[in-house]
Amino acid sequence: MTPGKKRLSYSYYPGCSLHASGREYDISTRALFKALNVGLKEVPDWFCCGATPAHNVDELLSLSLCAKNLSLAEEVEGDLAVACAACFSRLKTTQHHLKGDETKRKQVEVAIDGPAALNKPVKHILEILAREYGLGKLEESVKKPLMGLKVAPYYGCLLTRPPEVPELDDCEDPSIMEDLLRALGAEPVKWSHRMECCGANFTLSRPGVVLKLSNAILESARIAGADCIMVACPLCHGNLDIRQKEIKEAYGAPDSTLFGNIFGSELHGGSAPDQRDLPIFYVTQLAALAMGVASESLGFESVITDPKPLLRDKQLL
Amino acid sequence: MKNKLMHLSNETMNIGFVKKVEALSGSSVRRCFQCGKCSAGCPMSTFMEHPPNRVVRLLQLGQGQRILAGRSIWYCASCETCTTRCPNKVDLAAIMDALRKLSWDADGPSKESYVQLANRLFIENIRTYGRQYELRLGAAFNMKSGQFLKDLMLGPKLISKGKLKMFHSKNKNIAEIEGIFKRIEEMRKKGEAL
Repeated sequence: MTPGKKRLSYSYYPGCSLHASGREYDISTRALFKALNVGLKEVPDWFCCGATPAHNVDELLSLSLCAKNLSLAEEVEGDLAVACAACFSRLKTTQHHLKGDETKRKQVEVAIDGPAALNKPVKHILEILAREYGLGKLEESVKKPLMGLKVAPYYGCLLTRPPEVPELDDCEDPSIMEDLLRALGAEPVKWSHRMECCGANFTLSRPGVVLKLSNAILESARIAGADCIMVACPLCHGNLDIRQKEIKEAYGAPDSTLFGNIFGSELHGGSAPDQRDLPIFYVTQLAALAMGVASESLGFESVITDPKPLLRDKQLL
Repeated sequence: MKNKLMHLSNETMNIGFVKKVEALSGSSVRRCFQCGKCSAGCPMSTFMEHPPNRVVRLLQLGQGQRILAGRSIWYCASCETCTTRCPNKVDLAAIMDALRKLSWDADGPSKESYVQLANRLFIENIRTYGRQYELRLGAAFNMKSGQFLKDLMLGPKLISKGKLKMFHSKNKNIAEIEGIFKRIEEMRKKGEAL
């Protein structure tokens, strides 16, 4: 935004997780937007976008739920800001599919008993911060640079894939999170697993899958020397944060039993694996912290892997 | 399945099934030339008995029942890596969705009923409450899957952190949501939608 232009203002679709297990994402998003003086107004009576389960078994239902949400969003002014990567992906997918497929659009319009509103731009928080508010202005607004904080920026699946839908960044080599971190004064690390899947909603049906995939992500971040991971999806956060202790128990140091002593060291290449806790931050928590927002209003009390020791260590608290 | 000979005959070849998959997914299965890039990038292929490229190959050969009898489709995480990387623009993620829908519509439980159960409870929650009620989702899953103790230690921790709400209120516009479900059911009954 250039000076003299109208103040930025958005309608806001938080999604189910942000009102429950990802509440700190919602709290910190609101706190950050307030600090940046950007308007944010929640869409009244929004409902679940259907996430992965709906399109998994019933695409028409998934498209209809999102189309109805998009028409509810029409009642609030401003482009639609979405924080959850899954909601963002579903809403954008719906717009993309219905614009290109007349038959599907007609079926959805019957299902929602009204016209499908497809023209409101849907934007992820990352793109609002980095592109619309602007990296330069963001850098100028930083009150407490995140100096010395090594962050592994984690994109996961749905922020950039498939390429023609989210239009957020390059689908194989994105850089929006790294750019944002540099603007906040933090140091993004180079690591191998920034776009690997965390196991997503298998957390309910097949937690073993989540433990395996998320362990690989945490390991990769540790090897790259990261102090913490930054995410933009409540499901990724849940898998990496809530299950971190379980992951350590499942894939952690060799135990001290006889078998552990004999086979453990061999399995782990002769040395005990790195067992550091890795706090998982939402992008809005780190950004708000850099903007000087008090840590009490960023929902750190809801996080399982306590980030406070790290933040104190880096003199950010 | 790996080392067994596969018998192709008129009896095992179901081209009608393949056409349904193509119609539902809006993607061709014939475009695939088996480069294997989808399976190479798939985070879940180690859990599957038929990795993604083989699912497409089985479809090309009209072996729908073979796919539905297995668990591959229920181990797809919908991460879209395959669709993103396919050099021939086969939308494999959409094909997986279509296969899951066909399994969902078919009689009898799928082999991978845990994922299907989770999906069903998730969708039930939308119909009943409008939004997800995570505590009910977890509790109902454990009850119905018979894994009563799964994630038992996680529940109280999440509640104390304010991440799980004990009670949930319904959306004000719950009638509109019910309407969407009903109208889709009607359309399907009349054969106006797949």
